[in-house]
Amino acid sequence: MARDLMPRRTFLERTAALASAGGLGLYHGLARSAELNGGHPLAPKLGHFPGRAKHLIVFFMTGGMSHMDTFDYKPKLQEDDGKSVGNHKVKGSPYAFKPYGESGKMVSELFENVGSVVDEFCFLHSVHGDSAGHSAATLGMLTGSVTIPMPSLGSWISYALGTFNTNLPSFVVLAGKDPYNSFQVWDSNFLPAFHKGVRVVPGPDPLPDVKSMTTSVTRRELEDRMLRDLNQAHLDAHPGDSNLSARMTSFDTAHGLMREAPEAFDISREAEHTLKLYGASADNRASFAAQCLITRRLIERGVRVVELFDVGSNTNWDSHNDIGDHRKLARNIDQPIAALVKDLKRRGLLEDTLIVGCTEFGRTPWQDLTPKGRGHHSRCFTCFLAGGGTRGGLSFGRSDDYGDGVAENPVHVHDLHATILHLMGLDHTRLTYRYSGRDYRLTDVHGNVVKSVLS
Amino acid sequence: MFRWIVPALVLSVCVAARPAIGGEPAHDDPDTFFELKVRPVLAGTCIKCHGPKKASGGLRLDSREGMLKGGDNGPVVVPGDPEASPLVLAIRHDDEVLKMPPTKPLPKAVVTDLTAWIASGAPWPKASALGGTIQGVSHWAFEPLRDDLPPSDPSGWSDQPIDRFLAAGHREHGLRPVEQADRRTLIRRASFDLIGLPPTPEQVEVFTNDTRPDAYERLVDSLLASPQYGERWGRYWLDLARYADTAGDNSDYPVPRAYLYRDYVIDAFNTDVPYDRFLHEQLAGDILARQGPPEDYARLVTATGFIAQAKRFGTRKLEDIHQIIEDTLHTTSQVALGLSLRCARCHDHKFDPITAKDYYALYGVFASTQYPFAGSEEDKRASELAPLIVPEAVAAREAAHAEELAKLKSEINRIETDGELGRKVAELTQQLAEAEETLKGSESSTREERQHAVDLLKGEHAKAKGELDTVLKPKRADLARREKESPLDEASLAYSVREGTPTDVKLQKGGDPNALGDVVKRGVPQALDPGADLAIPEGGSGRLALAQWLTGPVRHLTARVMVNRIWQHHFGRPIVATPSDFGLRGSPPTHPELLDWLARDFIDSGWSIKAMHRRIMLSKGYQLACTHNPANAEADSGNVQHWRADRHPLDAEALRDTLLSLGGNLDTSQPGPHPFPPMDQWRFTAHHQFKAVYPSDHRSVYLMVQRLQPHPYLSLFNGPDTSMSTAVRDHSTVPLQALYLLNSPFVHDQAERFARALIDQEPNPESRVRLAYLRTVARPPSDAEHALTLTFLDQYAHSLDGESLTAEQRERQGWTALARSLLASNEFIYVD
Repeated sequence: MARDLMPRRTFLERTAALASAGGLGLYHGLARSAELNGGHPLAPKLGHFPGRAKHLIVFFMTGGMSHMDTFDYKPKLQEDDGKSVGNHKVKGSPYAFKPYGESGKMVSELFENVGSVVDEFCFLHSVHGDSAGHSAATLGMLTGSVTIPMPSLGSWISYALGTFNTNLPSFVVLAGKDPYNSFQVWDSNFLPAFHKGVRVVPGPDPLPDVKSMTTSVTRRELEDRMLRDLNQAHLDAHPGDSNLSARMTSFDTAHGLMREAPEAFDISREAEHTLKLYGASADNRASFAAQCLITRRLIERGVRVVELFDVGSNTNWDSHNDIGDHRKLARNIDQPIAALVKDLKRRGLLEDTLIVGCTEFGRTPWQDLTPKGRGHHSRCFTCFLAGGGTRGGLSFGRSDDYGDGVAENPVHVHDLHATILHLMGLDHTRLTYRYSGRDYRLTDVHGNVVKSVLS
Repeated sequence: MFRWIVPALVLSVCVAARPAIGGEPAHDDPDTFFELKVRPVLAGTCIKCHGPKKASGGLRLDSREGMLKGGDNGPVVVPGDPEASPLVLAIRHDDEVLKMPPTKPLPKAVVTDLTAWIASGAPWPKASALGGTIQGVSHWAFEPLRDDLPPSDPSGWSDQPIDRFLAAGHREHGLRPVEQADRRTLIRRASFDLIGLPPTPEQVEVFTNDTRPDAYERLVDSLLASPQYGERWGRYWLDLARYADTAGDNSDYPVPRAYLYRDYVIDAFNTDVPYDRFLHEQLAGDILARQGPPEDYARLVTATGFIAQAKRFGTRKLEDIHQIIEDTLHTTSQVALGLSLRCARCHDHKFDPITAKDYYALYGVFASTQYPFAGSEEDKRASELAPLIVPEAVAAREAAHAEELAKLKSEINRIETDGELGRKVAELTQQLAEAEETLKGSESSTREERQHAVDLLKGEHAKAKGELDTVLKPKRADLARREKESPLDEASLAYSVREGTPTDVKLQKGGDPNALGDVVKRGVPQALDPGADLAIPEGGSGRLALAQWLTGPVRHLTARVMVNRIWQHHFGRPIVATPSDFGLRGSPPTHPELLDWLARDFIDSGWSIKAMHRRIMLSKGYQLACTHNPANAEADSGNVQHWRADRHPLDAEALRDTLLSLGGNLDTSQPGPHPFPPMDQWRFTAHHQFKAVYPSDHRSVYLMVQRLQPHPYLSLFNGPDTSMSTAVRDHSTVPLQALYLLNSPFVHDQAERFARALIDQEPNPESRVRLAYLRTVARPPSDAEHALTLTFLDQYAHSLDGESLTAEQRERQGWTALARSLLASNEFIYVD
């Protein structure tokens, strides 16, 4: 039974008309009242300007992925391996590097698959953050704040832009294990709860309570109809309260989720060659390869933001004892990440989809607990971007000869956020929310868009 | 001096509206437009030359009056007519002479904004600080309470004071209040409001048929007297106090003793501890305890759990204490005064008259306070917990403990020196030494023999020593264990604060604990109470003086904030839409005279929260029906003037408690401590955080909640944020909630229990339908609903024809399905 009090199309047209009239922000009050009159709270909204990307995929490598063992090639580090510098002993990378693609980008053996599509990637080699502790740095990278809990990057984007398919969450988090600070890193905090990241645990039951416990279709329909009849009669008897119809809409959306979510998460529908591309298998949905494939399916189906965590708060990239541990971790993500880029590209989705690869911090160029290990290093590390209006084949920012400090073009985590928002069509200084007496932003009072990475 | 707003901080545009907190104005209201679009330009660009320091051309742009009065060339703004306003011509840069700012033109968007603002009449917010110095700024919330009497109501609608204030608003806006709610609606509303549980059908029937004139008053009184009242209203306070059962450090250590504070709050609400006293207890219960009767000692110490609940950080004992104190200050100022101090940690507050000096004056009070430590990754043992027993008893326990240790030591000593074995070892030691001495000096002929004697003695000595050790070993172990033990057992300790070393702290420049400025004497925000000085007793932290200041010199603010919170939870919408922000950026009250009258009444009643409930609930305004009225809605769509009651959804706790209650398995007792694993098994780290969910049939206020982990149920239904003080809960209706109601095992289970209860209680299906409605929505079904329900049951039963089920199973399945529909319905979830 269709019960759109204001058909979505009309709502969108109206919002668009208002927005093009200028001063978009101030008209959102009106847009909201339109929402309450029957529109969907997650209906797509226009940004501050046309964005280069419509979707965002974030890879977060938990534990602190080394920069000089992956994408930031430092020949001097190899040369000086074992030498003393101040109180430190230089630690060379045990991994071999070689050039890839037209850009000739030096990539380590850990990421040969990413190497094979390296011209799609744009590397930021001068990222720096405010904390070298796991919990705080994870919060910093994913919420912009290393101290007070704040709304997450994905929540801000969902809040600002809504989503394309209200039968799926606007912001999906694929995490087999909890990262540091768990839910706080995808929480909506003071933003409305619609914008919370919906965490999906890879496996046979990705979303809680999405499966009906009633097996008979007839009885399910009987029950659904009974609830609808009760609510409709109540609505008819109590006019003038949009909350009642909004809640009925939430049940329609829930039914949409029950219909669409299992299919969206079901990779057994994928062709064999696609599974092979990712290195996924239909009977192991918990693998990172499967998560990447699911990500593509979600993006195709209109999800706005997908965030992936390859590992949790233990047994992760935190290689204090042996940087050799990076090999296994990289093997788990190299092929799937490269496959996702290829797959999105061949489907024409890459130009609309911004991919961000990040971690809480890099690792020291020095030996740590053992001569084989590296410590935490937030002064300078590497993140990468791909698709969605970024300049492929670019390496921006430069670390010094050891990868210790920033030599050129520093990029603070706030700058990375400003750039991500910019690519999504949002001005980070205008994306604000009034809470507790002041306007809050993802970038607080900081942040500059890194213009050089825009294509 | 007020430092003008840095434009980068006052963000130019807000991208979308705030959540609907009742009548909170959207960002397209004139005040917000001014704050976001106009003020930053005036402050950042114009005031330099046209303000208090310099009035170039005789023109000042720091007040509306200044603009209207104009400068040497006359007025610069004609409200409503931008084309006739010289200011507009100047900022357009069309005129070479007039152009302003003289060098660089303003961005086009800014010109458009200022033009639009003048076109709309150049409205200037009442609560603006612009134009004044920060001290002495006039702001409604900082003013003393007005003493307006309730206006008379010529319509004769009601003679209650609250109603007369509301009636004035109705008159002003041409509104006619709708009818009073019927008895069934009223008892359901009052029950959920005060105890968070539905009335039973029997209670509904009794109340509906009670013809005594004070029937409703009696109902309110009986609900206020219920022990479940504290579980409902104490929860709101726990939201404010960011209550959690874990510490919030990197490993989120459990705090097994936190529940004492939770139970204290519930009991304090039940016994209606006067709010002024309650605040004193929150901040300084431990100090009051020393002055009070011994039987109140534990309760009062427990009360400072409010401070102790501050989030912990890092991996070591009380790491980053400045952040712990920051959490305390932020929470306390928001909760008690409705003011955020956070900004003043790094710089003078941009919007509110709080200076960095004020911040560190308060900071000193808490820096002089000893916080408890729950244990953490690198420092596993809890310490600094506060004793729940009087100091003399602590001293006695310590003495007893010391005595016990001394006794153990002396016993060990006695066995070593005086005991039979001890003596034997000593003797053998001596003999052995002598024999070895002899051996050294002996000739080769006797050497072998003497060597043999030494060996024999050595064997004997080792044997005796072994025997002695066997006796001593457990005693020594016992001593070592006892020495490590605190003289106070866990049961006599609370997660509360104590007095620490009194100290005035240095100002931290830019909020950086390593960049220190001058020492700031402990005290209170000067703008709120100019010249105020805290009378801090020698050796004290000043917490009691601070608490007394809150309910003394600034009681007008403290009382306003609290009555606004009480109002908020009765009406679903506060009078001041930002209940923890009464500052210059908060929303102004919709009914300022009413708010002040309530605050005054609250103080006059001896700060009785229960008296305030009665006052509000006995008003006709509270008892209005939820009926829609198109004419009223036209004039006041948001019902800001309370011409009807607002319908609001059950919150997370009320929903779960009601589901348990209908299923007949709600355990209404107080459960006490949580079933945490034994402490000696704790190995929590940032990499392996503590994480648990404990199933429970107790009321939801008793669920174990963590600071760093969301409770799966509570977070789904917009429960409080345990990482910070929650003044207004989000009311978002999200599809995952619908999924939970449709498909979760808990709801299915409760629905089945409810169905069984209905079947057990009422054999006749027709009457049973009636009972089902009475229990879920407190009214009988209409004829149409009755028929619809029976048809549904019939069809459902038919659909089970093919299954091999007994008649009872079929019946139960049908009724369970019906129960699920009722429990997911809007009428059940919403309270009229």
